[in-house]
Amino acid sequence: MASPRALGGDVHPAMGPPVRHLVSAHWLLAAIPALVLVVFFALPNALLLTVSFLKSEAQQLTGEVTLENYRFVLSRRLYLDAVIRTFAIGIAVGALDVLLAYPLAYFLVRTTSRWKGWLIALSLAPLLASVVVRTYGWYVILNRNGVANDALLLLGLTTERIALMPSSAAIAIGLAHALLPYAVLTIMGGLDAIPPNLERAAMSLGASRLRTFLSVTLPLSMPGVAGGFILCFSIAISAYATPAILGGPATQVLATAIYGFMTQLLDWSIGAALAVVLVASSLALLYLASRLGSRQVSL
Amino acid sequence: MKAGPSPAWILLRVCVGAVYLFMLGPILITATVSFNASNRSVFPPQGFSLRWWARALSWEWLDPLLFSLKLATLAGLAATLLALPLAFALVRHRFRGRDILVALTLGPLLLPALVTGVGLLQLFQYAGLRDLIGLPALIVGHVVICLPFAVRTIAISLQGMPPNLENAAASLGAPPWRTQANVVLPLVKNGIVAGAVFAFIHSFTDVNLSLFLVRPGEIPINIKILGFLEFGFAPTLAAVSVLTIIIPLVVVAAVQRMTGLGDFLYAERGHG
Repeated sequence: MASPRALGGDVHPAMGPPVRHLVSAHWLLAAIPALVLVVFFALPNALLLTVSFLKSEAQQLTGEVTLENYRFVLSRRLYLDAVIRTFAIGIAVGALDVLLAYPLAYFLVRTTSRWKGWLIALSLAPLLASVVVRTYGWYVILNRNGVANDALLLLGLTTERIALMPSSAAIAIGLAHALLPYAVLTIMGGLDAIPPNLERAAMSLGASRLRTFLSVTLPLSMPGVAGGFILCFSIAISAYATPAILGGPATQVLATAIYGFMTQLLDWSIGAALAVVLVASSLALLYLASRLGSRQVSL
Repeated sequence: MKAGPSPAWILLRVCVGAVYLFMLGPILITATVSFNASNRSVFPPQGFSLRWWARALSWEWLDPLLFSLKLATLAGLAATLLALPLAFALVRHRFRGRDILVALTLGPLLLPALVTGVGLLQLFQYAGLRDLIGLPALIVGHVVICLPFAVRTIAISLQGMPPNLENAAASLGAPPWRTQANVVLPLVKNGIVAGAVFAFIHSFTDVNLSLFLVRPGEIPINIKILGFLEFGFAPTLAAVSVLTIIIPLVVVAAVQRMTGLGDFLYAERGHG
């Protein structure tokens, strides 16, 4: 391939191939967006980290460096429980979403229906509704006089109305519902990456459809499954709205505890320490995921 | 293969039907409740009434809805304008510090928005800029969390463009700015529009960041609904909830007619 220079590009020496010229061009392009990200993303998060190590009285920082905030968070039963509950819910949500999304994703990738495009759109449509909207319906289903209780009574499984919410299970179901499209999207990506020839080869060698699925398709789609699990888990552990709607004071999670400290109890240092616990655990998970070789977010 | 669907495929279809029901059922139930005649949010509905919709369409709820629309429009536009040069720099240039810039760009996608919200609240408070809490702080926060979506979408359309086209324009004597304006921009236009739409929707549906940056009178619709849910589940809130789906739906439908948003979701998966 002839370079533009060879084609007479020397008339405009500044042009050349778009890569190495104008030493400062890329920084010129990136300067303002980078500045915005440094000031309004990196700085606040760094500030948060700093504040979590400072002692504070009401909203005023005293400047005294301390580990007291972390000690407080990790020694109180209430907050320790919230941390554990957050992760338990995150794991449940990830597992539930992967299980529910897999058949749907497999169907959407393999179907030859002429409605394929519409079916994919339908499975992603819930993303247009905010989590608040997506959780509201679960209140209608799960409350004491709701559809779920009606069904349990009708089936004779219970003799009186029971409290299905507030509970951790209700939060997990609501979040699994809200995050399902992410798992579908990720697993579809994983399935799409498998060359169809491999399956045909397995079947032409005499493997049954089931055998082909179990020993070729399923193992090869695992990166997508892992990616879906991690995505749902990491969104679930920082979700606020669903735990706030379907949970209660007895089912605090990290997000609701942070909100409480920031807006009601007004102890920002402890709020910051809880936030750092949340960030550290979600980063640890992403690191683990990258070590396990699941596909990463990249450019 | 052509002998009709196998039993396994039929079983799969049943499973898929059940998953769709799980996915769409609660949203349809919310919609049904909003037309309920009863005072409580019950399903199946007891009678038909439009009074909850009449309340949802009062200024009490239209004000926060319009506020969200304004916020998402401003934040979406600003994020797209910032994302454009950033995506160019990251896709077209290899330079020292590029990895740091990539990490900085994708950071808001990896760190919980809730945490960034807490950090921004503290930043504004400790910097003595408490007065900016409300619309200005919300715009800034939303720009930050929407930026990765816009950058990735624009980057995908840039990567999909053959660089030869630019070289061709240059070799024919076009100065750099003309190449960018007449060759590159029209080709990545769809990517820019799709990026703006993703940013808009991400801003419009956000809860986790907005929670910490509101002030009375400057509250996005979702935070307002959330606040009222603490006092009970009045059917008005179901009507308002349904109302909030309509705006992103209209935006996506309108843009889908002009450009293929789906292509970018697909590509985004490929790169994810």
